[in-house]
Amino acid sequence: MAKRATGGRKAANGKRVARKAPARRKRAVADPITTEVIRNFVVACAHDMNAALYRSAFSSVIYEGRDSAVALLDRNGQTLGQSTGVPIFVGNIDVCVRLALRRYGDDLAPGDVIMMNDPYIQGTHAHDVTVLGPIHYKNALVGFAASRAHWQDIGTIDAGSTMGSTSIYHEGLRFGPSRIVRKGVVNQDWLDLLRTNTRLKDVVVGDLNAQIAAIKTGERRLTQMLDRVGVEVFESAKENIFRQSAELDRAAVAAIPDGTYTAEGTLDNDGVSNEPVVVRVTITIAGDRMIVDLAGTSGPLKGALNCGREQTISMIRLAYKAMLSPNTPITGRSFPTLEVKIPDECMFNARDPAACEWYFTGLGLLADLMITCLGKAMPEKAIAAQYGDSMVACFVGADPRQGRWIAIEPTAGGWGAFKGSDGESALINLCNGSFRNIPTEVYEVKHAMKMEEFAIRRDSGGAGRWRGGCGVVRSYRALKDVDVSLWFERSATPGWGIVGGKSGQPPIIAIDGPGIRSGALKLKAQTIPAGTLVRTMTGGGGGYGLAKDRPPEEVVEDIVEGFVSVEGAARDYGVAVDPRTLKVDEAKTAALRARM
Amino acid sequence: MARGKGGRYRVSVDIGGTFTDLVFQDAKSGDTFTGKVLSTPANPAGGVLEGLKTFLPKDAGLEFLIHGTTVGVNAVLERKGARVALVTTRNFGDVYAIQGNDRRDIFSIHYRKPKGLLRRRDVFTVRERLRSDQSVEEPILLADLDPVIAAAKEGRYDSIAICFLHAYSNPVHELAAEKYLAERLPEFPVILSHRVSPEWREFARSSTAIMEAYIAPVVKRYLTTLIQELKRTLAGRELHVMESNGGAMTAAAAREHPLQTLLSGPVGGAIGAKAVAKSLGRPNLISIDMGGTSFDASLIVDGQPTLSGEAELEGLPIQMSNVDIHVIGAGGGSLAWLEGGNIRVGPRSAGSVPGPACYGRGGTEATVTDANVVLGRIDPATFAGGRMTLDVGAAQAAVGRVARAIGLGTEAMAQGILDIVNAKMADTVRTITIRRGIDPRDFALFAYGGAGPMHAAAIAQQLEIGEVIVPVHPGAFSAWGMLHTDVMQEFKRTYYHLWDHVAPAELEAAYKELEARGRESLAHEGIAAGKMSFARTADFRYEFQEYQIACDMPSGVADKAKVRKAFDAAYLKQYGHANAEARLEIVTLRVMAIGKLDRPGIVAPRPVAVPPARKRMVHFDGRRHETAIVGRLGLAVGKGVKGPAIIEEPTATTVLPPGWKATIIKGGHMSLKRVG
Repeated sequence: MAKRATGGRKAANGKRVARKAPARRKRAVADPITTEVIRNFVVACAHDMNAALYRSAFSSVIYEGRDSAVALLDRNGQTLGQSTGVPIFVGNIDVCVRLALRRYGDDLAPGDVIMMNDPYIQGTHAHDVTVLGPIHYKNALVGFAASRAHWQDIGTIDAGSTMGSTSIYHEGLRFGPSRIVRKGVVNQDWLDLLRTNTRLKDVVVGDLNAQIAAIKTGERRLTQMLDRVGVEVFESAKENIFRQSAELDRAAVAAIPDGTYTAEGTLDNDGVSNEPVVVRVTITIAGDRMIVDLAGTSGPLKGALNCGREQTISMIRLAYKAMLSPNTPITGRSFPTLEVKIPDECMFNARDPAACEWYFTGLGLLADLMITCLGKAMPEKAIAAQYGDSMVACFVGADPRQGRWIAIEPTAGGWGAFKGSDGESALINLCNGSFRNIPTEVYEVKHAMKMEEFAIRRDSGGAGRWRGGCGVVRSYRALKDVDVSLWFERSATPGWGIVGGKSGQPPIIAIDGPGIRSGALKLKAQTIPAGTLVRTMTGGGGGYGLAKDRPPEEVVEDIVEGFVSVEGAARDYGVAVDPRTLKVDEAKTAALRARM
Repeated sequence: MARGKGGRYRVSVDIGGTFTDLVFQDAKSGDTFTGKVLSTPANPAGGVLEGLKTFLPKDAGLEFLIHGTTVGVNAVLERKGARVALVTTRNFGDVYAIQGNDRRDIFSIHYRKPKGLLRRRDVFTVRERLRSDQSVEEPILLADLDPVIAAAKEGRYDSIAICFLHAYSNPVHELAAEKYLAERLPEFPVILSHRVSPEWREFARSSTAIMEAYIAPVVKRYLTTLIQELKRTLAGRELHVMESNGGAMTAAAAREHPLQTLLSGPVGGAIGAKAVAKSLGRPNLISIDMGGTSFDASLIVDGQPTLSGEAELEGLPIQMSNVDIHVIGAGGGSLAWLEGGNIRVGPRSAGSVPGPACYGRGGTEATVTDANVVLGRIDPATFAGGRMTLDVGAAQAAVGRVARAIGLGTEAMAQGILDIVNAKMADTVRTITIRRGIDPRDFALFAYGGAGPMHAAAIAQQLEIGEVIVPVHPGAFSAWGMLHTDVMQEFKRTYYHLWDHVAPAELEAAYKELEARGRESLAHEGIAAGKMSFARTADFRYEFQEYQIACDMPSGVADKAKVRKAFDAAYLKQYGHANAEARLEIVTLRVMAIGKLDRPGIVAPRPVAVPPARKRMVHFDGRRHETAIVGRLGLAVGKGVKGPAIIEEPTATTVLPPGWKATIIKGGHMSLKRVG
C-alpha cells in the first residue's frame, strides 16, 4: 500500500475497493427511498459538524462571524454534504481533500488529521485553515470530513490582519497539506511551530481543536450510517444523489435563454497603489452550458487583492447558485455545465509571490457583476447591486488583563432593490453571509473603545421605483491609544441600480482626533491617540426602475421611517414634501418630476 | 372511565388549534381520565369552560386548574399585539431595526430580515450614557421623554418598552425614566429591559422587552376574562398558567410577567416526561411528540428537561429560559412529493385542511397518515377515537400515484414514505443529542402525541435505542404533564469576570441576593417556606469563547477548584476536548426558585373491559403479517403483548413491529422492547 502512495496518483478511486470486495457477487444498489434517506442524512451530518465547530471554537470570528465551513466528502474528495457559515466557501473544500489525497495517497490511516492553508492551492487567504481527516470503515477508506475556519492570527506582518501587504511573505505562515495528527497522535513539532508563529497561541490551538471536533463528529455520523446500510448501498445512493443534482442544475441552465452578457466594474485601488482595478465578466449561455470568462480583468496586482484560482471558481459558483439554485444542497456533481475561463495573468489566478489577504474584495464585485449579467437573462430574478465589500474596521490595543486585544469586524450596508421590493438596509454583504454585528455592550466590555453611534444611514440607498437599501453609520471612539486599520472599498463602483434605478451612495470614513484627521478609506495599522473618533459610513444598494415612478406616498413613508430626508425626496425622487406636515405638494412634485 | 360524584379534582387544559384536551386527576386517589372538546379560538376561555362543564363530575370541586396558553404566541404570529413605543439611548435608535444584520439564508440574494414588532418611527431616543463599568458618563436628560409621553397621550401607543445601553448592569437610568413616565402617564404599561432580562447584548434585550410590551396587554386581557368566567368554578382557588421554562405560575403572576407564558404551549409534555422519568427511575429520556404537522424533540438528562437561555420567535430573539424543544416540519400531514424524478417527504404539509387524502376533505396528495392507512396500521373505523372515518381507497390512490411515478408498488411506496420521515426524525434526535455530546443509545425514547407512538419503534430502531416508553394518555399527554409541574421562577444576572478573579464570598453574596428575590417571589405566589428550594447554576466559558455551558453550582460558598474541574469535565463531555490551561470566564448567574405543589402520586389506570382482540393483515418489512389489534385500556400492569400488534386507545395508536414486545409497567405506562 505504501508503495502506491509514492507511485503516483491513481489512488482513491473505485478500483481499490472493487479489488477488496468479495468476489463477483451482484453489487447492492440503493432504491429511491434509501437514496432520499441518505440525501437527507449527509446534509444533517454537515449541520451537526458545524454545530460542533461553532460551539467549541475559541474565536468570535468563527462562532459569531461564522467565518467557517464544513463538508462531508466521499473517498475521492467529492462533496456529499456541506454546511457553510460564509457562502463564499461553497465550492473549494473538495479541492483540499484531493490535494491531501495527492500528497498522502494510500498512506492515510484512521486518526490522521491533515491541515493546509496555502492560498495558491486552496484559495482564500492564509488565515483560512482547512482541517480534514480520512474516514475509514472496516479498514477501507470511505470518505473524508473537513472543516475550514478563519484563524485570528497566523503571523501576518501586522497583528490580526494586514492591510498593506505586497507579498505572500507578509501574510503569515503558509503550509500545504500537513499531517498534524498521525493515527491519533498529535505532531508536537507542528503544534509548537504553530504556536511560535502566531500572536494568539491558545486561541489558535483552541480553534484547531474545535475543527478536529467537527471532523470527528462527521466521522462518527458516517460510520453509524454505514453500519446501517453498508458501503455498497451508500455508494450507490451517492451516485443517485450526484445524478439528481447534476440533472437539476443542467435543467436550470438550459431554461435560461441563450446569449452573451458582459458587465464591468472597478475597485478603488489595490491598497498600495492608486491604479483602479478592473473586473470584467462575460457570461455565455449556450444550451445547458454556462461559460464564465474573466478576460479583460486586471492582471496580477501589487496589493493584496489577488485571489487563488480555486477561490475564484468558488465565488463564481456562489453567484450561479444565488441566481439558479439557492435552495438545493451542493454535491460533488453540482455545477456540471459551468465552465470558468481565467486568464493566466490575472488577479484572480494568484501565483507566488502575489499577496492575497483581501482576496474577497474583488470577488464581491465579481459576484455582483455576474448577478447583473444573469439578471439580464432572467429578468424575474434581477436584483440591483449591494454595497459591495466587507468594509472592515480593525482596532488593536493592549489590556493589562488579557494582553493584546484585537477587535475586527465587517460592517453591514445596503442591498439592491428588486422588482416589487425595496432593498434591505443594514444587512451584511454577500461574502459574509450569517455574520452578526458585535453588540455595543459586548464590544465595550472587551475593548478600550466606546461605540458612539450605530444607525441606518439616511439617503444612502439608490433611488428608484423600488429604493435601494441604506448603509449604516458606525462610530468608534478610542479610549486609549490604539492602532486602527481600515479596508473600505467601492467608492468608484458603488452598488449600482438596474432598469433605470440609481446607484447607492459610496462609503465614507471620517477620522477626527488630537493631531489626526483623515478620510482615507484604507488605512494600515495607524496609531490614533485616545479620544480619536473613527466614523465609518457604509454604502447603499442600487435602486430598481425609475425614481420618478415611485408613488409619492411611498416616498413620504420613507421620510417617516427615516430612510429618505425631505431634501432627498425632492432631489432624488422629485417629490416635494412639506417638512412640518409631511404633505406632498402636487404641483411642485409634477414640476420636479417633469425635469427628471 | 369510572367517574363518581363529588370529590376534588386537579385539572389541566391543553388548548390546541383544533381540539382542547383536558385531564382530570382525583386529588386524593390520583385516578385520572381525559376529555376532549372543540377549541374556541375567538375566546379560548369558552373551550375551557365547555370542557369543565362536560367532564367534571357533578358536585365535584376544583383543587387545582392549570393550562398552557398560546394567546401570546398567536398575538405575535398574527401580529395582533399592542402598539409599542421603544425608548432607547440616543444614537442607538436603530439597533432594533438593524438586528444582527445577518443573512440567515446565506445563499439568498433576495433575503429579507425578520419583521420587527415596531417600526423606526416608534423609536424615541434619550440623551443618556452609561459606561461598561457601571459608571455614568452622561446623566439622563428626562425632558427627552416628553415626545413619547405626548404620543402616548394622543393614543398612539398601548405600551412603552425602555432599553438603555448597559442597563443590565446599572438600571439607574431605566428606573429614572420609569419614575418620570409614571408621574405623567399613570397606569400606562412600561416595560424595563433590565427587569425583563438583566443580561447583556442590547439588541436581544430590547427585543425581549419589546416582546413583553407587545403581548402584555393581550395576555392580561385574556387572563382577566378567564379568571372572571371561572370565578364560580374556581371558588377561591388560583388559576395556574404554564411557563416557557416548564414551571407553573399563578394567573395573577402571569399577568405581571406575561412573557413567561409565551412558549408554554408545548412544554407540558416535557414536564410529563420528567415526572415519568422520576417515577420509573429512568433519568435519561429522549422525548418525542409527533402530531399532524410538526415533530418536537427534547431531552430529559439526569431527570431534568434541558433548558436553553435564549429563545426565538418569528426570528426575533428573546432572552428567556425555556425548555429546549427542537421542532421540524414532520407529522402525519407531511406530504410526499416529487422533485427531479425523486421522492421527497415534508416539510410541506397538508395541514388539517384539506388534510391527508384519507380524511376525505378534498386532499389528494399522499401524506404520512395515508401511508400508515395503506399499510393497515391505522384502523379506518376507530381513528381519533372513532370521531372520524377514514377513506382507505383515497389513501391508496394518493400513494399509488407517487408510487407509479418512481416505479414502486403502492405498499413499497407507503413503507418508503415512512422510512424517509422516520429517518428525518431520527436525524433530528441525533442532532440534539450530538450538540450535547450525548449518545442516544444510553437513552430510552419517550413517545407521545397523536402520531408519536405509531412511529416510535421504527425511530428507536434507527437510533439503536432498545426501549420505547409510551406514557398513559399519549394523545393528551401535554395536558397530563401539566399536572406534574411545580412553581418555577428564574432569577439571573450577568456576572462577567475571569474565574481566577472571583472572590467566593462575593459570589455567594450575589447568589444569596438572587435567592432572596426568589424567596420573596415564591411567598407572593403562596408557597410555604418549607416547600421552597433553590437550584443554582452559572454559565461558564473559556476566555475568548462566546457560547457558554451552564454548570450546576453548590449551595453555599463555592470551592473554585472543584467548580473549575466540573466545567472542564462538562466541556469534555460536550465537545470531546477540554482545555485545562485556558482561563475560565463566568458570565451569568442563575437561580431557579422552585415551589413544590401538592399532588397525589402517579396511579396506573384500572383496566376496563374492552372488545376482544381482533386480527388484521398489516404490512411490516415489505410483507403482510397477521397482526393482533389490542385495546390498551384492557391491559393491567404487568400484562404483555407480542409484536406484530396494533395497540389502540382513545387518544393514539401504538405500532408494535414484529420482534418487539410491549409491557404495561408501573404507572400504567407502556414499555416497548426489542426481543428478536
